[in-house]
Amino acid sequence: MSTRWYPIYQKGNPQLRVFLPNFWMKLVKPKFNQPPNILQFHVSMEMTRIDVRNYLEKVYNIPVMDVRTRIELGPTRPENLKGYIVKDEDVKVAYVVLPREIKFEFPNLFPKTEKEIIDEETKALKEVKAAYKKFEERNQMRSRLPGWFSF
Amino acid sequence: MKKKKVASKIMELINMNLHKNLSFIRNNIVFARKFLRNFCQSRSGGAVTYPEIEDTSYLPTKQRERKKWHEKIKSLSTVEEKLIEVNMPSYYGFRCVDLSEGVIPYDSLNFTQSITRTYFIEEADVQEENPAGVSTKKTSQVFDKLKPLVIDSLIFHHESRIASEDDQEPVSSLVKNLNTLIMAHLAKDAPHLMEAEVDYHPRLEAYWVAGGMEPTYMTRKAKKNFAFMKEYADLPEDRHIQYVGNPILQLRHAEPLPPRSEFDTSKNVDQDIPFFKYDPRVLGLSLNRRHGINIPGFWPGDPCEHSLISYHLCNHLRDRPKVYGSEEHAEALHCQAILASYGWLLPLACYQGFSPFNDVTYPLLTQTVLTDGQFWSFYSYQMNSNKMNSVDDTHKPRHNMCWGTRSLKLFEGVEDGKVIGMYRVLELLLNMYLNKPCKRDVEMKPYLGEQQHVADIDDEERRVWLESRFKHLYSLRPRHRPMPEVYHWEKIYKIDHKTRLLEPKRRPFELGVNPFKKRLDEHHPAYIPKAKRTNKKEKWEKTYYP
Repeated sequence: MSTRWYPIYQKGNPQLRVFLPNFWMKLVKPKFNQPPNILQFHVSMEMTRIDVRNYLEKVYNIPVMDVRTRIELGPTRPENLKGYIVKDEDVKVAYVVLPREIKFEFPNLFPKTEKEIIDEETKALKEVKAAYKKFEERNQMRSRLPGWFSF
Repeated sequence: MKKKKVASKIMELINMNLHKNLSFIRNNIVFARKFLRNFCQSRSGGAVTYPEIEDTSYLPTKQRERKKWHEKIKSLSTVEEKLIEVNMPSYYGFRCVDLSEGVIPYDSLNFTQSITRTYFIEEADVQEENPAGVSTKKTSQVFDKLKPLVIDSLIFHHESRIASEDDQEPVSSLVKNLNTLIMAHLAKDAPHLMEAEVDYHPRLEAYWVAGGMEPTYMTRKAKKNFAFMKEYADLPEDRHIQYVGNPILQLRHAEPLPPRSEFDTSKNVDQDIPFFKYDPRVLGLSLNRRHGINIPGFWPGDPCEHSLISYHLCNHLRDRPKVYGSEEHAEALHCQAILASYGWLLPLACYQGFSPFNDVTYPLLTQTVLTDGQFWSFYSYQMNSNKMNSVDDTHKPRHNMCWGTRSLKLFEGVEDGKVIGMYRVLELLLNMYLNKPCKRDVEMKPYLGEQQHVADIDDEERRVWLESRFKHLYSLRPRHRPMPEVYHWEKIYKIDHKTRLLEPKRRPFELGVNPFKKRLDEHHPAYIPKAKRTNKKEKWEKTYYP
């Protein structure tokens, strides 16, 4: 982002030169199931449908058939330790329709390594082992006595 | 003496099927038990017959309920009562997918075919120069006679099109003019045209329930939150569909057109119909809460209640983005034709006593023309099934069939007050007019009673009430009680965060009431002023909901 505010051009102002646009687009995983040729973006609140189309066509050279936008209401929540209700920022959501031949699948951004998968599978066993070890350490002084036996 | 009295009372209860009123039997239990045993044995010759055991789990119970309701609609006597009964579940109407003619989202042929279960066949061999196989001696003779008149009409409307800002009016005027010309020239050869009714800009609306789509986000979430509903969270869900057409002109006749293919379509379809599983909103269609309206352009009771031809405008194609490509634009025309044809045949079937939930017992055919003056496409549509909902698993669906041409050019252009390059496309149109409707051997109205329309009902009070209620429902005026809404501040401070616990609970969402589940008849009947009462004790007027 180049500036904090989107510079509104007033007549008489010097020519507006924007080297980096205020626009940003974030590809998100769709909340509702969509056909494979529809993408969902979170975009800058100032962007219109035409901006979204131009951004994708001119910068990324993606053929765009149709763009629909809506503004999603930000969630409300009680402020921590204060109790009053605050509201988070709204988000502009853009649905971009690509030509029907194009199939897009949202990528798995954080694929698990083999080690992680094995770790996950053996997690329960490890926990049981650790708990038993802890139990043994705790009862070192009275070994061979059952766990329920105490004074 | 007492025993005799008790026995007669028990018989009365059995005859009235009052299973719930058991207190009387309980009070006389010793005698009643002996009597009932004797009674059962005497009735069934010793063996007791029990009712069929039903599956009481959630889904089968729901399906049985729906089926029972569908049977109720089928058993109602008059057309209007059936159409009111379809709307009985909701006071404010259903959330319908809004399908207006001329609004066709990108790549929606699959969706259209899926919700109307239509198999589409493109007649590829039809060309502008020679409408192959269609041209007959009669049509070519009539076309040659008509040609100068048509050219005059084209020039006139081309000029008025340039003069006026409205793009649609000159085309609809041209269509009306052409219809008059053709009717006049063909009347001698096709006497059925003399009996046909012509409607200009009729009101065309069709409502049905299409099944099998993915559940909405909120339905799924609501079910997931209930322990005993969790397993049904991903079940496919039905969607209410409301089509609103905008025909320029309709021709209808007392007899139906002859079917073009077999009624049982399982044989003549070699491919599956595409299935659209997503929520229709992913296409950009919106939902609108309204009553389900089925109206084919005229009120029930008109003698000419079968379709011949309907004309629709396709000017909206010019407003569609060019990037969609010519192939997609051609598909958009097919979408429009499928919806226009199905959307006319369904209300026509409803007037024959069927409904969106009761399948037709014979095929119905219609012919649809789409035009913007220069380009013409011709479709014929055969409705074999109008039950699109997925409640009944045992229902083996039939397919609807649609045959259509691509968009054909009537002329190349108009220059210096002269039409350049006139093709013989209108011969296809003449053929549609020559397609003669004929009487069928089947019973046309199997689900209608002796009184087929409300106007046939003898009881005057009931007749007047039903008529006015039907017309009021179909006028789509807002209901007497405005639609309830949850204000934004209430959603934040009362529903999402319970910050106003000490305030009195008066709003529907605080009382646990869903106002949209209110049924159509859940309202106070009209009050009778004291001076007008025949019976002093009858304060409220009677209602005659089906």
